Amino acid sequence: MTQYIDTITSPRRRRRQAPFARGGESPLLARLDWVLLFAVCGLVAYGLWAIAGITRHDVAGNESYFLVRQAVFAAAGLVLMVGAIFVDPQWYRRSKFLLYVLMIGLMVLVAFVGTVSRGSRRWIDVSFFRFQPSEFAKVLFVLTIAAFLADRARRVEELRTPLLAIALAVPPVLLVMLQPDLGSGLVYIAALTACLFVVGVRWLHLALFGAVAVVLAASVLWLLPATGIDVLKPYQVARLTGFTNPDEDPRGTTYNVRQAITAVGSGGFSGRGVQGATQTRLDYLPEHATDFAFASLSEQRGFVGAAVLMLLYLLVVWRGFKIVTLARDPYSAIVAAGLVFALIFQVFVNIGMTMGVAPVTGITLPFVSVGGSSLVANLVAIGVLEAICVHSRGRS
Amino acid sequence: MRVAMLGGFALVAFLVLFFRLWSLQILSPDEYRAAALDNQLRTVSIEAPRGPVLDRDGRILVRNVASTAVVVWPASLPQGNGRDTEVRELARILDMPFPRLRALIRAHPNDPVTPVTLKVAVRPDVVAYLYEHESEFPGVQVKQAYLRYYPGDTLFAQGLGYVGEISAAQLEEMRKDGYRPGDRIGQSGVEASFDQWLRGTEGMAELRVDSLGRPKSPLALTQAPRPGYAIRLTIDASLQRAAEKALRYGIALAHRNDEWAADGGSIVALDPNTGDVLAMASNPTYRPSVYRNRSGKELAPLLDAKAAQQENYPALNRATAAIYPPGSTFKPVTALAALQEHIVSSGTYLPCTGSYTVQGVTGAGQTFRNWDPNVNQPMGMVEAIAASCDTYFYRVGHAFYSLPPERGHPLQEWASRFGIGGATGIDLAPEARGILPTPGWREATYTRKTDPCCWREDRLWKPGDSIQLAIGQKDIAVSPLQMARFYALIANGGRLVTPHVVSRVEEAGGENAASSVVHSFQPPPAEGSGVDPSAIAVIKQALYDATHASYGTSSSVFGNFPIPVAGKTGTAEKIVQLPGYPNGLLEDQSWWCGYAPANRPEITLCAVIENGGHGGSAAAPAALKVFEHFFRVKAPKIGAIHSD
Repeated sequence: MTQYIDTITSPRRRRRQAPFARGGESPLLARLDWVLLFAVCGLVAYGLWAIAGITRHDVAGNESYFLVRQAVFAAAGLVLMVGAIFVDPQWYRRSKFLLYVLMIGLMVLVAFVGTVSRGSRRWIDVSFFRFQPSEFAKVLFVLTIAAFLADRARRVEELRTPLLAIALAVPPVLLVMLQPDLGSGLVYIAALTACLFVVGVRWLHLALFGAVAVVLAASVLWLLPATGIDVLKPYQVARLTGFTNPDEDPRGTTYNVRQAITAVGSGGFSGRGVQGATQTRLDYLPEHATDFAFASLSEQRGFVGAAVLMLLYLLVVWRGFKIVTLARDPYSAIVAAGLVFALIFQVFVNIGMTMGVAPVTGITLPFVSVGGSSLVANLVAIGVLEAICVHSRGRS
Repeated sequence: MRVAMLGGFALVAFLVLFFRLWSLQILSPDEYRAAALDNQLRTVSIEAPRGPVLDRDGRILVRNVASTAVVVWPASLPQGNGRDTEVRELARILDMPFPRLRALIRAHPNDPVTPVTLKVAVRPDVVAYLYEHESEFPGVQVKQAYLRYYPGDTLFAQGLGYVGEISAAQLEEMRKDGYRPGDRIGQSGVEASFDQWLRGTEGMAELRVDSLGRPKSPLALTQAPRPGYAIRLTIDASLQRAAEKALRYGIALAHRNDEWAADGGSIVALDPNTGDVLAMASNPTYRPSVYRNRSGKELAPLLDAKAAQQENYPALNRATAAIYPPGSTFKPVTALAALQEHIVSSGTYLPCTGSYTVQGVTGAGQTFRNWDPNVNQPMGMVEAIAASCDTYFYRVGHAFYSLPPERGHPLQEWASRFGIGGATGIDLAPEARGILPTPGWREATYTRKTDPCCWREDRLWKPGDSIQLAIGQKDIAVSPLQMARFYALIANGGRLVTPHVVSRVEEAGGENAASSVVHSFQPPPAEGSGVDPSAIAVIKQALYDATHASYGTSSSVFGNFPIPVAGKTGTAEKIVQLPGYPNGLLEDQSWWCGYAPANRPEITLCAVIENGGHGGSAAAPAALKVFEHFFRVKAPKIGAIHSD
């Protein structure tokens, strides 16, 4: 089987490999994953179009306020993405210590000079925009954890290895959860899980970690509050558990979800249009430009519009996995897997929460939600994926 | 391998999302569309314009003018401190005290979805400000409201009554009739008694609001309001105006006669044949329009007991709800009873002396004085009434007292048949029944509890009670309307009419169309009182003489009036509470009751001037002014008055 895959290559791939076979490297452009690039550009463009509709009535007198800002960030993100393509992934591996310190440093900085908004300290004000380190830290987190795991790849069978990786992951996860930003914390954990999974941690160990995670989650959500120790804020617990019973308290914690489901459902097949989408236009749907952007999009553009978005994501994810399999070394593979899985996790939890199948955790919709940090960080992540692709195709 | 598993996991995740999306958007979008609509559509009631009130000739007494009201939706106000901040700011803008505003909003804690009207007749600049700063006032709405407009200003104020928001207690009682919180309903007078006809049916409209309750679309009418019906009164607006003016004239006249305490009164004019109330004046009065402005200073005498007392109760409809001893205007009652019971006949002569002394129950003599101490001649009934001889009636009263027990109490029985001490049945609340004293009444009123010192003696019916009742004094108290009804009975030959102010309910026609009658109120037919026509004839003669004979008590007022007027003066002594007299002061209540033309009466009139002195000097000249207006004739100058 394996042999079959190795020996039979597609004609296109053979064509690409041809110049390299002649001894020199093929041009960078030829080695890019153009499908991924187009899919991401398509996502960004589609996201901007969605945001144009979603935020049309948000700022009185300036219909395109958010659109213009988001477009500026998209442009900046695309530039940084292109820049990231030129960085050899091995450089991240070598600089893992620096990157880890940078990540922790950024998060500690937020804790001290961050701006408090709606009860959490997540942002650093940088003149005209708010810089949200936890979004960039997602990329740094994957890069550093992957570096550690790749270094110890040969001893991956030992329980020590995954335990140390988890120990490395704990400080950033705790810091981000203390902001509090539960959603980003969960994304880190998802990325960590993917890294551990791909590097080849034994099933038994994975099962053990899974069991510990379940016990931890259960105690945080139910056992400890029952004994009077609140680890999470009550609203966070209510949100995490609320989606299992949406009719419990329609005016309170599950209000958002109910309004989001109503918005999605009312969109129907072809949507209600920008003017007709009353859930969005009349502000019944909270956070419709950020966390609940998918609900808003579904309301305005209907099943067709939402399905197009999900197919674009699927395309990106497919190409992402393709890059994981192409990766020339374990480090690249782990990084690619971590980044792709973090993306899947964000998409699933965000879209899922707007439809009542996942808890409300304040995770943004990648490439669509209004928010510069999220957009730029996700584009940089795509740049890293492309770099992995470029360097994998560079050498056989 | 593991990557493939991750990929498979991703695929499953996407499939889950996809199917959920499918089920929400393709399988059941209608349900969610409905929920979304439900979210943003707020059903609001559209106030129906209240019906107008017209006088008997269709002249408008009350109508509506469009105005603006500021209302708040309590559910849409911010919570916590933000609410107080907003309400405080509103208080400043609307120029209302903050605690009052807060109390208004808190008044309906169980009903957060009914808008609370904070202020009506809001100034245009305030409205403009609220529109401009709409975003700063979530939950606040400016809407059209109708205001009652009174073209006649104070005209018929107590009779028309006023409109105000339904109170919690009223709501409790009236909810079953379709009244709802926030409704503005009639609170007194015609507005209250005929509220069901006047209010109309409110319409329904839908309004799009955002999540903060701010309107985002114009109102879309789903059910048009049906305007209230018009109420046609029996009141003649022009006669009403004349009566109110005459009342003020009578009070001024009393002041000119050094009756310094004269400060209130009432004039009632009835159609003696139908019971139509033609005019009903009460003084002091007020402007019903003050209720819409809710200005504290002007409203105080209407709502606050102490302020009301200071202003001498302007909201009180003295014609129906105030009671006074009738004095000599009661003598025809005694006379009719005496004739019917054969105590005296019209030909019987009794001495009219300066005073009359009877043996009291204790054995001591008790002397009752005549108003004119210089008289000493025998009088028949006609002359006794015309000259208002008290001692003649003292003797009749004593005769009633001396009747054997099996004859019962015929004086009170006849008085009761004439409507004294009972409800007149007028279609206007409130109505005072007055007091018709009987031995039973004395017994029930004076008990150990109410009268610890002297109840044993006071509860007895003594000769003085009968004697004083005969001239309408002591405990008896009647409303001006009761007395007018009795004089209508004399005028129409013995039938007791039911006075009423409303004749019918009409639906306004279009521009040129005539209005149509929706409901016509037929008062119960006048009942016969069982009084003998010959007895009535005697009284009629006596009342004519009272205004025309040389000895008549109001001949100098009515004697030369081109239309023959018949009527009786009254000077009723009453202990009244006046500032500076903690124990009260005995003051004369000036009465005049009568009708005209004497041969074929068209109008019956009763006038009372509180603390106004003699009947002939204040009430009778006031009554004359009303007759002047009614018959459109000018009266010659009034001569010297010699009356009780």
